[in-house]
Amino acid sequence: MTLFSLKGVKFKDIISYPNIEIEQGKTTFICGKSGCGKSTMLKLLNGVEAFDSGSLQYCGKEITEYDSIELRREVLLCGQSVYLFDGDIRENFKQFYAYRDLPSPDDNVIKDYLAVCSANFKLSTNCATMSGGERQRVFISICLSFAPKVLLLDEPTSALDENTSTELFENILRYCSKRDITVIAISHNTSLVRQFADATINLED
Amino acid sequence: MNGIVKLNLLQFLLIYLLLLVVLAIMKKCKINQTKLLVVASMRMTAQLVLAGFVLTYIFKNPHPPFTVGYLVLMSGFSVYTVLSRNKDLNRRFKGVVALSLVTTGLAIVVFFITAVVKVNFFNPQYTIPISGMIMGNAMTGVSLGLKTFTQNIKTERGKIDTLINLGVTPQKILTPFVNTSLETALLPTLNSMLGMGVISLPGMMTGQILSGTLPTTAILYQIAIIIAITAVTCVSVFCSLFFGYRTLYNKRNQMII
Repeated sequence: MTLFSLKGVKFKDIISYPNIEIEQGKTTFICGKSGCGKSTMLKLLNGVEAFDSGSLQYCGKEITEYDSIELRREVLLCGQSVYLFDGDIRENFKQFYAYRDLPSPDDNVIKDYLAVCSANFKLSTNCATMSGGERQRVFISICLSFAPKVLLLDEPTSALDENTSTELFENILRYCSKRDITVIAISHNTSLVRQFADATINLED
Repeated sequence: MNGIVKLNLLQFLLIYLLLLVVLAIMKKCKINQTKLLVVASMRMTAQLVLAGFVLTYIFKNPHPPFTVGYLVLMSGFSVYTVLSRNKDLNRRFKGVVALSLVTTGLAIVVFFITAVVKVNFFNPQYTIPISGMIMGNAMTGVSLGLKTFTQNIKTERGKIDTLINLGVTPQKILTPFVNTSLETALLPTLNSMLGMGVISLPGMMTGQILSGTLPTTAILYQIAIIIAITAVTCVSVFCSLFFGYRTLYNKRNQMII
């Protein structure tokens, strides 16, 4: 089933996207040089940016017809720059969940999500003292815990070494396929793309 | 009580010597604002001399259009000052700020003059100086509130974008920024109330006492004006930010900053 369909989508007269179809349940990678509109495409898919012309459909319906907040919760974007609150991991889950008006998950649930993201740290670890890669994994685990239907990952392994990147992707994709979560990711790492992509969109073509 | 001692020109010019002290310290500390000090002192002098002449004329000819004209000028200048200090705001935000400043300022002036002092609103002797104090403080408060708000939004952009991506409503994200900025804008007024009468005798009270008013009458005016200033600062900053922050996102909850 087609999850997203882009036809003649233009963004601020800077980026013109080719016609693109993204299938449900298939791990899709978006590739291309810096500045070609990869991150913007993810932002268009979850509606945090508006396109100027063309048609962008999600599950057969124009994206503009969806309630913008509901759409973002269903098509969740785990952005390129990692933001974590001051405090420890537990506190971060609590704060993000409070913003979403949800009760904070209990410690075991948090540990499970951290494990999926290869982030087996103590919940009392202060996020400010973590390395960039560790913060990135904690952030992804928070995003994943919101149980979206589509997970958009923008450079999720930019601060990770090769082995951790592979392990992270393996775990996330295994978790997502069990729960029917479609993953759409941007990565400059060609070996990851080769290993994990069911489909690839090259924006340079 | 005696009337006020009139200053002759020579006595008056002596006070400018103090500015030379400021100038000397600025030079010593390499504060590169000498030009600002000179321009600001000259502008202050020229504006006040002009205000002195205009007010003398208006007090001698107390026609309502003069009072209204002065109020319009004062409101316009305060709006202009606030907006020129916060150039990054979008057009709708600027409109909200202008409207909030003028309406809340004038509403409190009207209440003060007609309900508290109970004199004719068009009496320039009361309306002009009281509106000056109220509008001036509203201007400082709104300016400070907006500056804090825009700066915080800039430094916390990463947080805002992340929360937007995760499906948090802009209202929920931006409301804490409004609250913090309102608090920052209110604090100087609240703190100044603490030391009043002990550390400082405020300007209005000093003026009244110097011109021969009984201190017991002067304090009543002073208390009333301080409460009015606190109220106008709070309400004008609140309205500017509370209605203004909504201009930062559109109907699709997309940030437009």
